[in-house]
Amino acid sequence: MTTPAPKGLRGVGNFIDDRFHLAKVGEKNLRKVFPNHWSFMLGEIAMYSFIILLLTGVFLTLWFNPSMQEITYEGSYERLNGVQMSEAYASTLHITFDVRGGLLMRQIHHWAALVFVAAIVAHMLRVFFTGAFRKPREINWSIGALLLVLSMTEGLFGYSLPDDLASGMGVRIFQGVLIAIPVIGTYISYFMFGGAFPGEDIIPRLYMLHILLIPGILLALIVAHIMILWFQKHTQYPGKGHTEKQVVGTPMFPAFAVKAGGFFFFTFAVIAGLSALVQVNPVHLFGPFTPTSITSGLQPDWYMGFMEGALRIFPNWFDIDVAGYSIPTGVLLPGLGSIGLLAIALLAWPWIEMWITGDRRHHNMADRPRNAPTRTGVGVAASTVYGLLWLAGSNDILSETFSINLYATTWFFRIAIFVGPVIAFIVTKRICLGLQRRDLETLEHGYESGRIEQLSSGEFIEVHRPTSEDSVHVLEAKQPVARVSAAEVDENGVEAPGNRKAMGRLRRALAHWYTKDDIPFEGAEPHREPHAVPETVAVEERSGSETPEEPVKTP
Amino acid sequence: MTDNTSNHDNTAGDGARERILGTPSGTEGALTEVGPGDHRGHSGPYPAAETHTHTEEEQRKGERVAALWFTLAFLAGIGFLVSYFLFPPGPDGEPAIAAPAIGKLSNLALGGTLAVALFAIGAGMTVWTRRVMPHYEVSSPYDEMPSPAAEKRSFSDFFMRGGEESGITKRPLMRRTLLLSMLPLGLAPILLLRDLGPLPRNELHKTPWQRGQRMVVEGSEREILASDLEEGGMITALPSVPEGEHLTLDEQAQSVILLIKMNESEFGERMTGERLNWTHDGIVAYSKICTHVGCPAALYEQTTHRILCPCHQSTFDATNAAEVVFGPANRPLPQLPLTVDGEGYLVADGEFSSAVGPTFWDAERDV
Amino acid sequence: MKWITARRRHPLAGYVVVTLALALLGLGYAVVAPSAERAQAQSDAAETESAEVDLANGRELFEQSCMSCHGRDGRGTASGPSLYGVGAAAVDFQVSTGRMPSTNPDQQMPRGEAVYNQEQIDDLAAYVQQAFGGGPQVPSVPGTEPQRSEFDSEAAYEQALEEYEAAFEEYISGGGDTEAGQKLYMTNCAHCHGWSGNGGALTGGRWAPSIHEASPRQIYEAMITGPGAMPVFNDQTITPESKQDLIAYVKNLQYEPNPGGVFALNRVGQVAEGLISWTIGLSLIVACAIWITAKQRAHD
Repeated sequence: MTTPAPKGLRGVGNFIDDRFHLAKVGEKNLRKVFPNHWSFMLGEIAMYSFIILLLTGVFLTLWFNPSMQEITYEGSYERLNGVQMSEAYASTLHITFDVRGGLLMRQIHHWAALVFVAAIVAHMLRVFFTGAFRKPREINWSIGALLLVLSMTEGLFGYSLPDDLASGMGVRIFQGVLIAIPVIGTYISYFMFGGAFPGEDIIPRLYMLHILLIPGILLALIVAHIMILWFQKHTQYPGKGHTEKQVVGTPMFPAFAVKAGGFFFFTFAVIAGLSALVQVNPVHLFGPFTPTSITSGLQPDWYMGFMEGALRIFPNWFDIDVAGYSIPTGVLLPGLGSIGLLAIALLAWPWIEMWITGDRRHHNMADRPRNAPTRTGVGVAASTVYGLLWLAGSNDILSETFSINLYATTWFFRIAIFVGPVIAFIVTKRICLGLQRRDLETLEHGYESGRIEQLSSGEFIEVHRPTSEDSVHVLEAKQPVARVSAAEVDENGVEAPGNRKAMGRLRRALAHWYTKDDIPFEGAEPHREPHAVPETVAVEERSGSETPEEPVKTP
Repeated sequence: MTDNTSNHDNTAGDGARERILGTPSGTEGALTEVGPGDHRGHSGPYPAAETHTHTEEEQRKGERVAALWFTLAFLAGIGFLVSYFLFPPGPDGEPAIAAPAIGKLSNLALGGTLAVALFAIGAGMTVWTRRVMPHYEVSSPYDEMPSPAAEKRSFSDFFMRGGEESGITKRPLMRRTLLLSMLPLGLAPILLLRDLGPLPRNELHKTPWQRGQRMVVEGSEREILASDLEEGGMITALPSVPEGEHLTLDEQAQSVILLIKMNESEFGERMTGERLNWTHDGIVAYSKICTHVGCPAALYEQTTHRILCPCHQSTFDATNAAEVVFGPANRPLPQLPLTVDGEGYLVADGEFSSAVGPTFWDAERDV
Repeated sequence: MKWITARRRHPLAGYVVVTLALALLGLGYAVVAPSAERAQAQSDAAETESAEVDLANGRELFEQSCMSCHGRDGRGTASGPSLYGVGAAAVDFQVSTGRMPSTNPDQQMPRGEAVYNQEQIDDLAAYVQQAFGGGPQVPSVPGTEPQRSEFDSEAAYEQALEEYEAAFEEYISGGGDTEAGQKLYMTNCAHCHGWSGNGGALTGGRWAPSIHEASPRQIYEAMITGPGAMPVFNDQTITPESKQDLIAYVKNLQYEPNPGGVFALNRVGQVAEGLISWTIGLSLIVACAIWITAKQRAHD
């Protein structure tokens, strides 16, 4: 029935198996199932971008010379002939104008970096909003958060290497933030830079970090990330046959491997296409770095934009001067605090949510964002803060483009950073609840068909079409918002002592805030197609506190 | 799942179905299904019910399309190789791509062919999976994560016994000295980093400016006469160094100044006494390095006399000892005392009023 | 200096200083001012194209377009500053860039289409110079490209254009010291006008304009006259040769093709790149992902 494996292949297989005993494990892994959805491929974009970064990065190191030795340029790029610059900058010009394909590789490297971090962020947003970070996947989420922060650092250091004006200013700001640290700041700065700014050591040191240490850690973490994913299997969206116990999708062999392989080529193609058509980071135009020059409209790459924005809008009102010693909080809080807060909030979120809801169950089914309105609201509010800071990082461009007073933009962001997330949270949560109500109605009464019929009694009715079986699966998958923490008494009816302490009260308040708004679907009777066999729906006892929306009167 | 007749797109009479966002879309292309009744011919690796094969004709069409993509990829790949040789170095070895206009063509040719080749491979592979390979909907169990209680107990028991037997718990002297032995070695890496750089000492309070040192316009060798500047004028200047010497970037970062000349009547209330003596005929010199995080704050508006830093928009009032009027900086720009020498040249008249550069712990202390 | 310090706050102090300064300026001007022959020699170069200026025409133009804001006597009004001592270069700059005559004296004027042709501007500039004195002269640097409407015949226009282009080319390529040009631009200009000359934001809703359309002469004039909030960079602080290096640097950078791609994102830089990486880069890849994972079902 099956075609026997060709001799050559069998030979290779035997050779490997003789040494690793892989037949069983191999088959099991090739049978691994991956659920199908475009949003499950965002992480793959990041991984493939990373591979592209490694490939192009290795190419660039063949010519790049990370030295801050000052030379007079006398290369083939005529416009800058006779200009004083560092070896690093000169070798970047060499890659651009003397090495065929060098400019392309440089541009691919830069675009891939921009897409890499963008894909990580998009991937994290997907995981967050679908609750895919919940137990048992919290650790993988935290690894992802570390990957994000490391990638941003990696990008910042890479951006600093060519020693052009923009990159040098990035290093300058980096040094300005480091030196602001109380007591030890000047020491950190002097050790890092080998003396005063800019010195002659920082680029070789950043180069080592950029091509060796950080990529090494990134690679290790990515491997861990994927191994954990492989082991725990991917979450899936609700659908027919999709349960907490059973995953449905494409098997690794033969289909998923080819799909994923094809996707690598797509990712590379888009980045190569961008690099062919759109100029990125034209360092040869910026000119070499000198600590005395500056340009307007100076920005970091997009992923450092939020930090730049924080530095711009944070006022100097809280700076501390004691006995002639300064603690410039206006530098420290936005410069180190913003990225620290981002890292800590991301790392800790799964445990914070678990603590609030008390939900310690395993989750393999992804939430639809609307079904977790508070989490979705929190996510949108946090994204709003991030987005506003990011925008604030380009407030001079906004000011110039739209002819708004520069200081007015600063003030706008100073206020919006507080008001924006609150509005975003409320609006998002309301939208989620509205969508839940519509889902419930769809589930129970089907779709409006637009067809009006007159009954014999003379009454006009609109005929509702039944909900498709697929949709019923999706809609029914809504779980009641976790109320585990609502069980405030233990099995003996005794209130847990912790509940009465301050933390306990806070936790209860948060749990109430987190779970109070929800449209329960329990007991909803799907309006199915007549021929579909209704599956038994576990009708749990309705929670007495809340009743579902009054059903719309329909025939 | 296997009931082929329940395909609603065929049975539902009312055409396209409304779909709620987030729910699966309808059928894209008809697939024949190997139903439970006719899996006699099924030889795939997965159960017939989970394998939806395409008809032979569909597969043949798919194969042709995929082959077309792969051929395109091959041609584009050849194009990439050819593109490399399209822009060879000139007769004197000068690379053709050194001219930006040629470089652009080279980049476009190389990048364009590469992108097409990669995309075509991706597209071909996608067509392969979607139109030749069966569509799989294989189900597989999620693994139970916590191990059964018995296994856990057994492990814990085993581990504790081993620990006990090894003596690590029973023999505190050995345990503690082991930990002790790690301590100095743990500190060693930190110690080894000590020589990364010198200690700052009071270097951050010093700049290359010497009393009586003349100034030059940065970018030229011209020393600046007091009479060179006119009201409303501004220029970036550095200390003048003897012929043949030049300032390192470190020294430039410490010593760069903005020379601004305004009408003395515009000086604000802070420009009194000593501060006023540091000016000459309305000419005032401030450090160009912003006290926030160190960008050159150079954006001087002669109408408002504001000095704006283009990085984070700290704004300093040039008429008023560079006091901060807006933005995140907290410390005024240090002022460099200046005067004129016998020949009318502007010269420094001492050190800056405070430490130059981004604010640090003891920036405002006199050292 | 103590007596000055003590009297600095006197209500009249400001006026005294201004008067003194003006007197000093006048005196200085009288001493330094070029003698008749030298002035003639200097402006010769600038006026080779239009052999002689028509002061009467200049006066007429002044009365038509300038007087309402700058006053009949040129001493300025509430809506326009005094023209005393501004000089011909300032007039040439403001009028040839279309900023003057302004339609809204309360706002910073953007660059626009010049209302007058070069001949008329020369007349006006000469009139202002003659009537109100002072200020820098129009430098003999290539100005705006000749317009077809200024010539009677196609041939004359083409010849003028050719001459202009030759002069432009000669001026730009004459800037021999890229290092000096770059240093001067990056340390004194780029903080407002940007590394690419795109301009940038200032305080109070003002902005530093793009300098892409500015002719070498206009850039030169802007430096020596300090229009708007821009500081003055006179010929003493930045010599004419250095100015040529600087202008050559700016123009060479501007005209250089972008090797990186057909789309250079207007040389805006990182903000635009970030936007593209999300909107085009990531979206296109996601579109591919959607193709790969699109539903294929035989059942429902």
